[in-house]
Amino acid sequence: MLQFDRVSLDADTEALRDKVRTFLAANKAHFPRPNSDFSSGHDPEFSRKLGEQGWIGMSWPKAYGGSEQSFFERYVVTEELLSAGAPVSAHWIADRQSGPLLLRYGTEAQRQAYLPAITRGESYFSIGMSEPDTGSDLASVRTMAVKEGDQYRINGTKIWTTDAHRNHFIVCLVRTEPAGENRHAGLSQIIVDLQNDGVQIKPIANMSGSEDFNEVVFEDVMVPADRVVGEPGKGWVQVTSELAYERSGPERFLSAFRVFVELVRACGQQPSPHEAAAIGRIASHIMTLRRMSISVAGMLQKDKDVVVEAALVKELGNNFEKVLPEIARLAAPMAARNSAFRRSFEQTLLLSPSFTLRGGTREILRGVIARGLGLR
Amino acid sequence: MSEKQETLQIILDTAEKIFADYCDKTLLDEAERGDFPHRLWQQVSQNGFDRLGAPNSGTDAQDMYALIKQSGRFAVPLPLAETLLVNRWCDYGEGIFSIGVIEEGQIVDVPWGRVADKVLGVSQNSGLVAVVDSPQVVQQSTNLAGDPRDSVVLPADTPFIEVAPDPMTQLAAARCNQMAGSAEAILALGLQFANERIQFGRPIAKFQAIQHSLAVVAAEVAAASRSADAAVDDLSSDRFLFEVAAAKSRVGEAVTIIAEQVHQVHGAMGFTHEHRLHHYSRRAWAWRDEYGNEFYWQGVLGAHLAGLGADHAWQFIATRG
Repeated sequence: MLQFDRVSLDADTEALRDKVRTFLAANKAHFPRPNSDFSSGHDPEFSRKLGEQGWIGMSWPKAYGGSEQSFFERYVVTEELLSAGAPVSAHWIADRQSGPLLLRYGTEAQRQAYLPAITRGESYFSIGMSEPDTGSDLASVRTMAVKEGDQYRINGTKIWTTDAHRNHFIVCLVRTEPAGENRHAGLSQIIVDLQNDGVQIKPIANMSGSEDFNEVVFEDVMVPADRVVGEPGKGWVQVTSELAYERSGPERFLSAFRVFVELVRACGQQPSPHEAAAIGRIASHIMTLRRMSISVAGMLQKDKDVVVEAALVKELGNNFEKVLPEIARLAAPMAARNSAFRRSFEQTLLLSPSFTLRGGTREILRGVIARGLGLR
Repeated sequence: MSEKQETLQIILDTAEKIFADYCDKTLLDEAERGDFPHRLWQQVSQNGFDRLGAPNSGTDAQDMYALIKQSGRFAVPLPLAETLLVNRWCDYGEGIFSIGVIEEGQIVDVPWGRVADKVLGVSQNSGLVAVVDSPQVVQQSTNLAGDPRDSVVLPADTPFIEVAPDPMTQLAAARCNQMAGSAEAILALGLQFANERIQFGRPIAKFQAIQHSLAVVAAEVAAASRSADAAVDDLSSDRFLFEVAAAKSRVGEAVTIIAEQVHQVHGAMGFTHEHRLHHYSRRAWAWRDEYGNEFYWQGVLGAHLAGLGADHAWQFIATRG
């Protein structure tokens, strides 16, 4: 029923891991940050360096700048970057989500236009799904794109758009037809240039004090009709598969990893029984989660349907990312109160409410799993 | 599938059929009253399921543990894991063998010690294993699942053999797989009950509260299964101890959640002795504490990681797929 096969990474993949570690050691100036959250370290210079290594768009065809490597190789690179606390948010969405979307549904011209710059670590994408009145109920989006000749006129508002004020493009889910009886019909995905198409971007401070996400307002924004991704009106299928495929990666369980590292440091080499148990408990979860994530990478490699398995990894991983700082807090020695541990703990805790929201809330995911179990 | 995988699948399918045929509610109740299920044992023995993973059996430790997991799915009330491990260590062949823990001149917590032809005794952090022939039972007892856990005499002149890797760790790995198997059975019962039980005019499976509860259970079942498999990837590796440590802790945490949530889904019916749910949930609960509970194994793993140091923790975690 729920099959998470044993999958071992082969020698070539492990050799790549060594290469990534060497690269990270040589680029220490860029990190570590106090947290290992994939969406809060925007560093274009670092992204360009990764691009030079061929570590963005790794599994994509060479014709578009990719290096045609496996999902396992991509897995290893991403987990090494995240566990080290490397700043990856600039290129992350383009690499994980927008690029694969264009590969699956984009036109040849779109692929040529966007993918090579993504793989060079020069072109960054945001996700345009949520709106002020649209959260988990994604089909209720109201941003309209009306065709006028060879252009679309876009009106509406997107919100919680991470890095819209720093990125180059946004893939927006819009209505190209008014909502009818089938609320999943008439939706389309369209690429908007965040810097040149005249959108208004208003940063929103989050509770941790940083300004990573935004409100993006479209007032009569005109874009060429060839920016539509896939078939107009079929955006729902695209957007749901886009979400399903991107839920099982290591960013779903490593966001709080630096807290663990600092906990181990604070406890020293001879921990008390309580400290040792806290360290061991956290490790036992991460060891299991990464194997589950690698199992899903194996399914992706074989082109299998991973909707439920990916949701299971995200459910477990995101919940654990929130529990990790709590286990660490109660176990950390008093001496850790003014230390790297405290900085890491506080930053991660303040970001942690987002862990079970982004990429599909816990509640939505449990619904996806329940459907897979035949309960709905 | 490789030839090895196909062979294993045939074994597991055959075992599933036998376990499903025999391990009904009646047999589980009888076993709980202390009646050893001899006919089931005969089937197990005739099919060679008591020698999987033994030397020259053409099967390995992974196959053995896969069968142990399968036995957990059916709450098989036999000292099967113990007999398998004894044959893996000593290859005695035919017979009922069991294992317990050496404690003050006795071997205690011996599954079905009362019917065992031989009982082996293990100690913490020791490769030396006592071998007692024709064991003399001094006390019959049970664990909280009602599974026999007897005490037998450890005579002064008992011979010891040397077993590697650490025998208690191999037993802990068995409990991990038994728990992972029972976790799957508990989820299956929860899904079946939720789809059949009608309240407020519809199956309770249609209520979001129930759906979310079972989704959480499914996630824990998946984690338990993957973790139990990982524990026994490679018994000869110097990581074996720590992989089992991670698994015994992680699977123990998982079955705590699984048993609690699925009992809640079953309401009062699952609280009756007449319902079969407790045959799985009580075993899962009991196995958490046999051969080291979660806290013990977390400490083993955590102390090792702390010894390696903060900047090597990730290397350790990410060393194997």
